[in-house]
Amino acid sequence: MKANLENLRNIGISAHIDSGKTTLTERILFYTQRIHAIHEVRGKDGVGAKMDSMELEKERGITIQSAATYCSWKGYAINIIDTPGHVDFTIEVERALRVLDGAVLILCSVGGVQSQSITVNRQMTRYKVPRIVFINKCDRTGANPYRVAQQVRDKLDLNAVLMQIPIGLEGDLKGIVDLVAMKALYFEGANGEVVKEAEIPAELQEEAEAKREELLDAASMFSEELMEAILEGTPTEEMIRKAVRTGTLSLELVPVFMGSAYKNKGVQTMLDAVTEYLPTPKDIKNTALDLKNDEKEITLTPDPAAPLISLAFKLEDGRYGQLTYIRIYQGTLRKGDTIVNSRDGKKVKVGRLVRMHSDEMEDIEEASAGDIVALFGIDCASGDTFTSPEISVSMSSMHVPEPVISLAILPVDNKAQVNMSKALNRFTKEDPTFRTYVDHETNETIISGMGELHLEVYIERMKREYKAEVQVGQPQVAYRETITQRAEFNYTHKKQTGGSGQFGRVAGFMEPMTEEVEYEFVDQIVGGAIPREFISSCDKGFQKSLVKGSLAGAPVTGVRVAINDGASHAVDSSDVAFQLAAIGAFKEGYQKAKPVILEPIMKVAVEGPSEFQGAVMGSLNQRRGIIVGTVEEANYTSVEAEVPLSEMFGYSTVLRSLTQGKAEFTMEFATYKQVPKSVSEEIIKKFQEEKQKS
Amino acid sequence: MQKEELIKKNPLRVLNPLDSESLPDHRMGLIMARAGLGKTAILVQIAMDSMLRSQKVLHVSIGEGLEKAKAWYEDIFKYIAEGFQLDNATEVEDELMRNRMIMTFKESAFSRPKLEERLNDLVYQNIFRPDILVIDGYDFTEADYDSVMDLKEMMAAMNVQGWFSALRHREDERKSAAGVPAPCHEVDGLFDTVIILQPEKNSILLNIIKDEYDGAAGKILNLDPSTMMVKEG
Repeated sequence: MKANLENLRNIGISAHIDSGKTTLTERILFYTQRIHAIHEVRGKDGVGAKMDSMELEKERGITIQSAATYCSWKGYAINIIDTPGHVDFTIEVERALRVLDGAVLILCSVGGVQSQSITVNRQMTRYKVPRIVFINKCDRTGANPYRVAQQVRDKLDLNAVLMQIPIGLEGDLKGIVDLVAMKALYFEGANGEVVKEAEIPAELQEEAEAKREELLDAASMFSEELMEAILEGTPTEEMIRKAVRTGTLSLELVPVFMGSAYKNKGVQTMLDAVTEYLPTPKDIKNTALDLKNDEKEITLTPDPAAPLISLAFKLEDGRYGQLTYIRIYQGTLRKGDTIVNSRDGKKVKVGRLVRMHSDEMEDIEEASAGDIVALFGIDCASGDTFTSPEISVSMSSMHVPEPVISLAILPVDNKAQVNMSKALNRFTKEDPTFRTYVDHETNETIISGMGELHLEVYIERMKREYKAEVQVGQPQVAYRETITQRAEFNYTHKKQTGGSGQFGRVAGFMEPMTEEVEYEFVDQIVGGAIPREFISSCDKGFQKSLVKGSLAGAPVTGVRVAINDGASHAVDSSDVAFQLAAIGAFKEGYQKAKPVILEPIMKVAVEGPSEFQGAVMGSLNQRRGIIVGTVEEANYTSVEAEVPLSEMFGYSTVLRSLTQGKAEFTMEFATYKQVPKSVSEEIIKKFQEEKQKS
Repeated sequence: MQKEELIKKNPLRVLNPLDSESLPDHRMGLIMARAGLGKTAILVQIAMDSMLRSQKVLHVSIGEGLEKAKAWYEDIFKYIAEGFQLDNATEVEDELMRNRMIMTFKESAFSRPKLEERLNDLVYQNIFRPDILVIDGYDFTEADYDSVMDLKEMMAAMNVQGWFSALRHREDERKSAAGVPAPCHEVDGLFDTVIILQPEKNSILLNIIKDEYDGAAGKILNLDPSTMMVKEG
C-alpha cells in the first residue's frame, strides 16, 4: 500500500519500564489486524508479545531494541517505532526519537510520572516531538488518572488536557467518556474489538461537562474560530479536534487519553487520537548537512520527486542477513536504485525493499518521503545517511560519545570463542557506543560502552542469541592521560649490533592543546635535518606512544607534538630507526610535561521525594561529586551532580537503601577531568603493580 | 589577564570594594527593573565576582529551570573569558563552578522554611556553605514586610549576604520616600543596597539609588545591552 503523506504517521511509544508499553503495542497490532491473537509479555502461552523479538526481552519482560512495525488503521498508515525504556540505551532512544514524528507517552495510572518518563520526556522536548499521553492500567488497584494528569502538568511541565474520563476505575473499569463527542464508549467482544457508543451515565454527566469545559478552555487558545463558537455556544467536534491538533503540533498542548491495554479498553480511541492529533511527516521540519557546502544546514522537503535523503537508524541481524531500517526524509527509494552512503561515499544497489512487521516482512517495490522501511544486505553502520548519487548531504552527524567503561571477557571454550567474535562484530555495527578490542599485552578481549547495564545486556545477548558463554572481569573505568605544560625533547636512537645499525635523532617539543583534539603533529623541520621520507616515521612513532601513557597505561590525548631538529645517517637511518627515536623522544618529553590522569565524569540526576534530598546530596558528595543544582517541585526533588564514574559503581543499591527505593537515578557521560592527586597516586600504584605481575 | 586583575578591574567593585571594612557579611541587596532589562545578568555577575573571590554562592532561582540558570553562568563566563582574555579559562571555570550551587523552586514550592531546611542539609553535611545567596524571581507583589523580614533574619543568622531581583511593572507608579518603586516600596528599609535599571538610548543605566555602606549611592554604572555585561558609566 502506498501511503499518502497526509495519511501517514511515524510514531514512537515511550514509557517507564512496566507501564505496559509492550502490551499496548500488542493490542494495537491486534486491532489493526497485523496479528490474529494476543500474547502477553510474560505470556503463559510461551509465544510472547510480537514487538519483543529478542529472547532476552522476552525473559526480562523489557524492550531493549527499537523495532519498527507497520500497520494501518482506518485508512491511515502507522509506523510504530518501539523505543527502549531504560536509560543506558539512550543512544537507541535518541535515534528512535529522530526518526519519528510524534509519540505516545504511556504512563501507569498507579505509578504515574516516574523518573524514566521524565528523562524520555526531556529527550522528546529536545527533539521537539509532539506527543499525546495514554494513561494505562486504569483497571489496577489504586488507579487515578486525574492525579497522573496533574503530575504530567507538574513534573513534565506539559499542558496536559483530559480528552476522556473513565467510567468506573480499578476492577470496575467499564469504558470511557469521550469529552469531544460527549459519548460513553464501551469495548465489547472477547478482545474488546467492538466499540459501542452510548449515552453518558447520569452519574458522570456533571463531571464530564466540567472536564469538557476545561478542554474547551485549553483548546480555544489555539483557535479563534473555536473561541468565538464557544461564546456563541456552538462549538463543533471538528473545531475542537482541529484546535487540539494545532496545540499538540506546536508542543503547547498535550491531549490525555486513558484505558487499560490489558483489559482491552481505550486502545482504539488512542489509535484514533494518533491519526487525529499527531503530525504527518509534512508537519515536521527536518534538516541535513550539506557536505559540499561546509556542512551548511539545509531544510528537507518531503517531496517524493526530490533527490533521495534517508537515514539508516537501526541494524538487525535477521535470518537472511543484515536488515537495515531506514527512514526516508526526501525523495523516493526504489528497488534496483543505486544509492550512496554519504559517510564513505560507497555506492550500493537496493536489492530487496521490505516493510517490517516485527519479525515478519512484506516485499515492496518503492517507498517515498516520510516512510520507514527496511533494506536487505546493505553493509553500513547505524546512523549512516543514504542519498541519491547526485547529492552529498548527511543527516546531521549524531554525536557519538566515547565509551567510559570497559571490562574483559573470556570465552569458556573454542565454540564460544567463535560465536563471541560473531556477536561482537554484529553489536559494534548496531551500536556505535559499544566497542571492542583485544588487549595485546594480556590477550584479553575488552568490551567497552556507556554504563554497567549497557555491557551487561550485551553479555546476556551473546549468551542467548549467539550461545557464547563468557567469563566476565571487573568493570574498569576508561582513564586517559594528558600533559599540562610544554616540554622539549631531544633524543637520539642508536643501535650498533653488527650488520646495518639504526640511527635517528629527533628534537622538538610537545604542548597541551585546549581544543578538543586528541593529537596534532607539527613538522617544523627546515633544511632537511630529518630527511623528508622519515618525517612520517616520526609521526607514526609518536602515535604509537599515544596508545599507552606511562602513568596508568591509558591513552594519551590533547597533545601537540612538534619536531624542529634532528639528525640522520646515510646508511643506518630507516623508517624503524626514526619511529623508535620518536618513541624515545616522546618518553623523554612526556616526563617533563607534567602528565596527569583524566577520568570520565558523569552527569548524574537523582529524582525522588524531597524528604530524601539531604541524604541524596550527602551520598553524591561522598562520591567526590559536585552538586550542580537542585530542582524542587511540590514534594519531588531532582538533584543534578557531576560525579566521577569510578565512584558510581553499585550506586543503585546504595540509593535504594538510602531512600527506601523511592528515588531513581540516571547517568550520562559529561566530560573528562583531571583526577585528584590522592586518587591519581593510587591508580599509578595499581598500574605499576600490574605491570610487574605480567 | 590573570584572575586577580579581573577581580580588581570589575566595575562592580563600586558595590564591593576589596579593602572595605564596613561591609557586614549579611548585607541585603536588591536589583529592580522591568522585564527583560537584565536583572538576572547582574545577579549572575555579582555571583561570579564573589565566586572569583573564592566565596561560595547559592543561586536560588524561583520559577525558572536549572538549565536556564546554568546557561546564564556559562554565557557570562564566556564574555568575561573572551573579553578580558583570561588565562587558563578552562581551569578558572572549573574552579569557579565548584563555588556555585543552583537551587530551583517552582513558585509555589518556595518558602523560607523550605529554603532553610535545604540550606541546613547542605551546611550540616558539610556539602556546601554559602557566603552569598542570590535569589532570582522572588515575587515581591505577593510578599509582605514580614516575609521579607523573615528571609533577612534567616540570612543574618546564617551570616550570608543576600541579593534579590524584583520585577517592576510599568503601570505601578507607587514609590517609597527613598525613591524605591513598587512592588518593593514598603520593604525598602530592609535593603542596604538598591539598584534600579533604567533603559537609555544605547545602554541600560544601573542607578544605585541606595547604598548604606560604601557610599556607592548616586554612582552610575552601565549595562551593555548586547552582552548584558556591566561597565563603568
